[in-house]
Amino acid sequence: MTEKITVALTGNPNVGKTSIFNAITGSKQHVGNWPGVTVERKIGKRVHNDIEMEIVDLPGTYSLTAYSLDEIIARDFIIEEKPDIVVQVIDATNLERNMYLTTQLMELGVKLIIALNMTDLALAKGDSIDSEKMQEFLEVPVISTIGSKGNGIEGLLDAVADELHKTRVTENIFTYESDIETRGEELENVLNNDPYFVHYPSRWFSMKLLEGDENILKKAKESESYPRIEKILNELDADSFEAKIADQRYKTIQTMLRQVCDINTEHLSGSDMVDRVVTNKLLGIPIFLSLMWAAFEITFTFATPFMNIIDIFFGWLAEAATNAITIPWLSSLVGEGMIAGVGSVLIFLPNILLLFFMLSLMEDSGYMARAAFIMDKIMSKIGLHGKSFIPLVMGFGCNVPAIMATRTIEDTRDRLITILITPFMSCGARLPVYVLLAGAFFGRDAGVVIFSLYALGILVAITSAKLMRSTILRGEDAPFIMELPSYKIPTLKGSFIHMWERGKIYLKKAGTIILIGVVGVWLLASIPAPGSGGTFASEEVYGTTDSVIGVIGQIIEPLVAPLGFDWRIAVALLFGVVAKEIVVGSMGVLYGAGDNEDTLSDILAAGAMSPLAGLGLMVFTLLYAPCFACIGVIKRETGSWKWTLFQLAYGTTLAWTFAFAVYQIGSRIGVLA
Amino acid sequence: MKRNYGNKEIAFATLAGVLYAFFGLIHIIEGLGIDTGLSGILFIPGDILGGFCLVVIGGVFLYGSREMLQGINAGVSFVYVGILMSLVFMMVYLLIMGGNLLDSFIVPDDYEGWSVMETFRPGIYLGIISLAGILYWRDRFSLNEVLVFREGA
Repeated sequence: MTEKITVALTGNPNVGKTSIFNAITGSKQHVGNWPGVTVERKIGKRVHNDIEMEIVDLPGTYSLTAYSLDEIIARDFIIEEKPDIVVQVIDATNLERNMYLTTQLMELGVKLIIALNMTDLALAKGDSIDSEKMQEFLEVPVISTIGSKGNGIEGLLDAVADELHKTRVTENIFTYESDIETRGEELENVLNNDPYFVHYPSRWFSMKLLEGDENILKKAKESESYPRIEKILNELDADSFEAKIADQRYKTIQTMLRQVCDINTEHLSGSDMVDRVVTNKLLGIPIFLSLMWAAFEITFTFATPFMNIIDIFFGWLAEAATNAITIPWLSSLVGEGMIAGVGSVLIFLPNILLLFFMLSLMEDSGYMARAAFIMDKIMSKIGLHGKSFIPLVMGFGCNVPAIMATRTIEDTRDRLITILITPFMSCGARLPVYVLLAGAFFGRDAGVVIFSLYALGILVAITSAKLMRSTILRGEDAPFIMELPSYKIPTLKGSFIHMWERGKIYLKKAGTIILIGVVGVWLLASIPAPGSGGTFASEEVYGTTDSVIGVIGQIIEPLVAPLGFDWRIAVALLFGVVAKEIVVGSMGVLYGAGDNEDTLSDILAAGAMSPLAGLGLMVFTLLYAPCFACIGVIKRETGSWKWTLFQLAYGTTLAWTFAFAVYQIGSRIGVLA
Repeated sequence: MKRNYGNKEIAFATLAGVLYAFFGLIHIIEGLGIDTGLSGILFIPGDILGGFCLVVIGGVFLYGSREMLQGINAGVSFVYVGILMSLVFMMVYLLIMGGNLLDSFIVPDDYEGWSVMETFRPGIYLGIISLAGILYWRDRFSLNEVLVFREGA
């Protein structure tokens, strides 16, 4: 008679679980979702030695202390569904990290088989692993496999069939320090006397309680014995116990690995060599800063000639259009409104393209993930997770996808803080404002000024995170677990495609939102204010205080006057909430860059604004309310108007305070005045 | 521990490290407004952040040199990554130089009395040392498996 069993395939992400699953099940598999959630569930069937095996490929997990949805599903399946056999697939080239999960599975007391996968790669690396000795040490079957070639699969299935009818003699092989053991036994006694816990292995459950596993604590709270459990847990320092337990597990793994394998340290792969340097404790962060500086220096300096070409072209186009159109108001709309406004935004296309090209090179090479890893220490000091770093860096490109990328952060508080601080990362749309003003006032030091603004954004984000973590969003930070992709030489084609995709969005924006915005500004600048007596689009009205926009600007002006801004800047900042690029577009219209031979930059440098006010304006643009699209995504991702409005109010208050400090302190001490 | 790499790597790393760190420091000192007298002859204008980058590259080379002297074989990784970084920065400075040159043709008025040598930087000529390194060790620059320590001591 055919016996029916369930076999769960588990293991860290990217260890070759799926290739083993495919090799076992062939075409007899189906894919669906786990009940109630959209995490993929793969189930396949295989008959071997008269045993019908249902193979379940679980989502990748590093530990049974579950944080992400994937990890919770994998753990709950093993504990609640109780598969007959659990096969842990281990990457033979990365034993130490993979075996952390092994220690936990063994503690759980499940019938475990280890599939030592990718043994060919380990062998090529010069490692030798004695799987028999490992089997002896762990007291579980260890089968060498090469999932991608289907090697070792029959042996693995034989081991499953053999193990099925064996009785386990040991539940765990790990003994912890005496204080952990003592507390563990106390908890075990409580658990063993409560029928609620009969479902769970008491040793494993007590260790999870000592580790402070929130999910397990939640389960424990539902039991009648919880007051007794709570009493024991309150008597100990949860953080130090968690660290001690992890430390002990790693020590055990290292002791075993020293006896069962010989890792070749004479060979390092190219990736290993690069990682040794870029993740170095002392040099990792300075290297990262140097590379970012190089990216910004190129973004500004190398782009200059291309910007000048675009500038000359739009200057010519505006002039030609103005001369060709005989109707005065239409000539003004096309020349001063549309061409000058859109042109003053398109001029920054080379900067945007170059910045995205370089970010893409860093991302595609695999370096960005390392940057997250090296920044984790700093991030955790400010109360954030290393994973928060990637959305923050993505924010340099555009805050909207960056905020969406926070979905990878498991901890809700970490995620909320990251969403709230991401708008402080200078997105590509703010770059035109920086390039315009830094170019106008700081000449060849413009690159340094722009780099400093990016640094200020990071500093404000970090300080805000720290502040939020210690006040309104208190809580423990989650540990850093992240798969580092292998290095790749980025292809020019890939980076050009990425650059063009972003450039296309910028162009589309310039042709739609920005065009509508600048035409709106032109209209408001052309309509005479009630009672002014002027005529539509006349020289006496256009862009003056006698126009509607002038009146609006004058109403807001008192709010920004202490920052050294006039009514034109007030209006530009107001329109900038629609899209940050409109700040420059509006300034182009309001400062009359279209009908003037001088560019907007020259007009500003000629005295329309002081360098100090220019610096304050860059700081204000960096920190104040993000654009409409970003506000929308903050609302969607936080699901709360409260947090959305908080971000707007907090950012704008900070922007005002910083710009005020720059202008007032600078004026008092006579710097850049 | 047995040193199983050649002395060439150590000598190269030390020389490159000292030069990069030295020129980087001069950049920073000049950037702080202190005249070192080397600005003109060695093309080292004041540039605090640019100087910081050169010091970092120098630090990478010197770290590798220190590790190798201590018998840590994998210290040679720092030599290779140092070479790659210095070439990246050489490219950055060359692009900046090219950008300025191109711009001087587009808007000649802004560049009156300017010469292309004004954008020449130590990051460019120091990169030549790294070019020599990459030519010598070119077979080691691969992201695939490589034999790191070929030469016995």
